[in-house]
Formats: sequence, C-alpha cells, structure tokens
Amino acid sequence: MKGSESMEQAYSRTRILVVLGIVLALILVDHLNSPTFAFNSGQGNVETALTQRDETACAPCGAPCPSTRD
Amino acid sequence: MTDSVVLQPSHKQPGWKVDRFIVSTALVGFALLGGLIWLEAAPFMVALFVVGTALGMALYHGAFGFTAGWRNLVVKKRGAGMRAQLLLFGVTSLIMVPMLHSGQEGMVGAVAPVGISLAVGSFLFGIGMQLGGGCGSGTLFTVGAGNMRMGVTLVFFIAGAVLGSIHLPWWLDQPGFDPVPLVNTFGVSGAILVQLVALGLIACWVNRIERKAHDSIERDELLWKSQDHGVLRTLLSGHWPFTWAILILAAGNALTLAISGAPWSITFAFSVWGAKALEMAGVQMSQFEFWQWDYPAMALKDSVLTNIPSVMNFGLLLGAMLAAGLASRFNESNRNRPKGRQLLAAVVGGLLLGYGARLGFGCNIGALFSGIASASLHAWVWFASAFVGSWIGIQLRPWFRLPN
Repeated sequence: MKGSESMEQAYSRTRILVVLGIVLALILVDHLNSPTFAFNSGQGNVETALTQRDETACAPCGAPCPSTRD
Repeated sequence: MTDSVVLQPSHKQPGWKVDRFIVSTALVGFALLGGLIWLEAAPFMVALFVVGTALGMALYHGAFGFTAGWRNLVVKKRGAGMRAQLLLFGVTSLIMVPMLHSGQEGMVGAVAPVGISLAVGSFLFGIGMQLGGGCGSGTLFTVGAGNMRMGVTLVFFIAGAVLGSIHLPWWLDQPGFDPVPLVNTFGVSGAILVQLVALGLIACWVNRIERKAHDSIERDELLWKSQDHGVLRTLLSGHWPFTWAILILAAGNALTLAISGAPWSITFAFSVWGAKALEMAGVQMSQFEFWQWDYPAMALKDSVLTNIPSVMNFGLLLGAMLAAGLASRFNESNRNRPKGRQLLAAVVGGLLLGYGARLGFGCNIGALFSGIASASLHAWVWFASAFVGSWIGIQLRPWFRLPN
C-alpha cells in the first residue's frame, strides 16, 4: 500500500515494537508482583485494589478521601 | 487538548490510505492487554479499557483541543474550540449530575477541596498546557499517535505528578475549605441550571471577543457533517466534526461513571506510574504522606491492571494509535523534530503539568470536565485559574520558539 510505504520513512517499525514490548513487559512485571496476582494464584487474606473498591467509594482525582485526612 | 497534532481540514483526497502496520500493531496490543485485563482483573475493567480506547479515537479524530481552543481565543480571537468545550460541559452536566444523585450506591463525583492548593495547581497547569503542548488527555493521545516531543512532555508530566504528590499534603495545610458540591446548595435541577447559565455567560463573552475581532462568528462547533467525506469514511479516517467528538466524550465520561462509580480521570495514573518507577529504583514511597492514604497506597501496591485511570489511559493510547493508523498520520508530527528551546518547553511544561495536576486535583479532564459534570465548585475555580495560567503560557511561547 502506497500510504504504508510513505509512512515507513517517518518511523522505525522495530523501534515501535521494542517500545511497546518494553511497556508490556513493565506491566507484566508490575502485575506479577502485585496482591491481585497473589490473590488470583490462590493466596487468601490479600487485600487488593478491587476489594478495596468494594469497601470505599473514592474518586481517583488525587484528592484525599473524606476519611483519609483530619 | 494539544496543539501538536491539531488536524486542519485537508483537501479532498482521491483515496483513503491506511497505515496497516500501525493499525495491526494497535489491534494486537488491544487484544493482548484486553485479554490480560480480562484474565487478571475483572470484566468491568475490560469495559473501561474499551471506553478508554473509544475516547482516544474520539480525541484524535475530533482533534478536540482544550489547549489549542484556549489559545485560538486569546491569539486569533476565534471561539469555536472554546464553545465546543462549553457545549461538552453542558451536555455532560445534564447527564451526569442526575446520575450522581440518583441514589445509586457506590457512585462518587469528582469533588475536591477549594483553596490555595487548587488555585496554584490549576494556574501552573495552565502555563504547562501551553508550554508542554497539551493537557492530560492531549499529551496522552498525541503520544499514542507517535509524537516524540509529547513523549518528552509525558515523561516530565509523570515526574511532576510524583513531585506534586509528595508536596500535596503541605499544600493542603494552606488556607482552603472542604469540597463544595453545588447540589447541596441548589439541588440537582438548580445546580444544573446554575452551571448552564454560567456556561452560557462564558459563551457570550467568547462570542463578543470573536465578533469584535472579526465582525462575525464561525459556528464550527455546530457542524454535524464532515465537509470532506461521507459518514463511514470520516468515522474511521478522521476530521470529525466537533459535535461527534462532543457526543462520544460526553457518553464516554457518563459510561465511565456508570461502570466504575467515578468520573473519567487521567493524571492520578501518572503519579502511580512515577511512584512505581521510583520504588523500582529503591525509593520508599510510603514514607510520604500522600502514599499512606488508603487509595494511593493500594494503587501503588497493586497492579496497574486494577487501577482504573491506568487501564483507561492504556486504552486511550492504543485508541489514538489506531486512529492515527487509520488516518495514515502516525508519527506525522515528527517530520519537523523539535530541538533546543522547544524541547526545553516540553520539559518545563511537562513538570508544570504534572505538579499542577496533583495540586489541582486533576487535569482538564479529571478536574475541569469531570468536576463540572459533578457540579463541584472546585472545577470552576480550576477553570478560571488555569485560563489565567494558560494566558501567561501563551505569552511565554515565543521565547521557547513555539508558534502562537
């Protein structure tokens, strides 16, 4: 396709794949070391972000939750 | 939300070119990450990932720019972009304020304290918008579309957001007062009415500026049909009329609220990503008060795949990449590579964006768009303060060799 050919000069396919691969690897490493992965692997008594969400409603705007700060 | 990838209406093209590599890569990434979220997080997180993707496509194809819209008003005295934003706020307010007060449990609006922290944060964010080249969503969708300068802005956005998270408790100790939901004073209908009147007054002010400078008003924000192509091709290849983007963005924010229980937010994820990076480098983030609070502490500890803003941001990045591939414009803005002071602007702008977003409780999406959709007073203070900051940023742009 002519469009693809002209765009090839604007970026390196290898570089894009490498960058996306690094991002995916970082996400995986983060996940494998997380309480959610431990919970999914059968470990009980682990509090995760999803169980916390069920307990408290807190907007993810970075403002302190009403209960967090005096 | 950006000025780096503002899509100007193009001449009619004889054929539609698709960048197959970019489209395929974005779709594979979407399938991989979506599958991972499905397997490891929860089905509702996949739904939010899809919403984020749609929002990314809408932002790119609609070229819906807060930054450029504000600058066009100040520099060119043209108000279509600004009026489109006001229309978006009005429509979303009509949908989301009643949703938030329908009595359904587990829903919370984007409400935040009003005080020095908010005023200073949003002011700095406004300067950062014009120097960094975009705001929260603008930075993300341009990075997704392959803009390297905005990649620099994003890295420093993240750095600024972490620094802001460390300083936020100190700023919160400065004068200020608790969140003010307008519904508490005016009721649901009254709060919507007050907001619509305020938005209308701002629209009148914008019209006055435009009419004074040009003797007429361009009504681009009311266009329903593309001037170049048919509906299907425009939907896929871009140059959306403002109205399409407004509808998708309003629906996207309302869906986010319905699915996740809170409105759309972007920049909290940047703080989490930066804090995780510092922890990997050996910094103990839990020594800082912000990271001891329940929500940030758990977000830092747990997987990004369970953090709603992160998952939606991933979707947004991939959605913008997909849209850029469909428009055959991926990486287009890198043909003129920035250097020297332009890169410095990306660094300074990114830091101001991140620091300002944390102090101001979000960006143009989390604080302004979602804040007004939640009828919170802090969103209006954010709007005014960020606009003043943006005006100063516009005056600073020439020194950084950025075109106005």
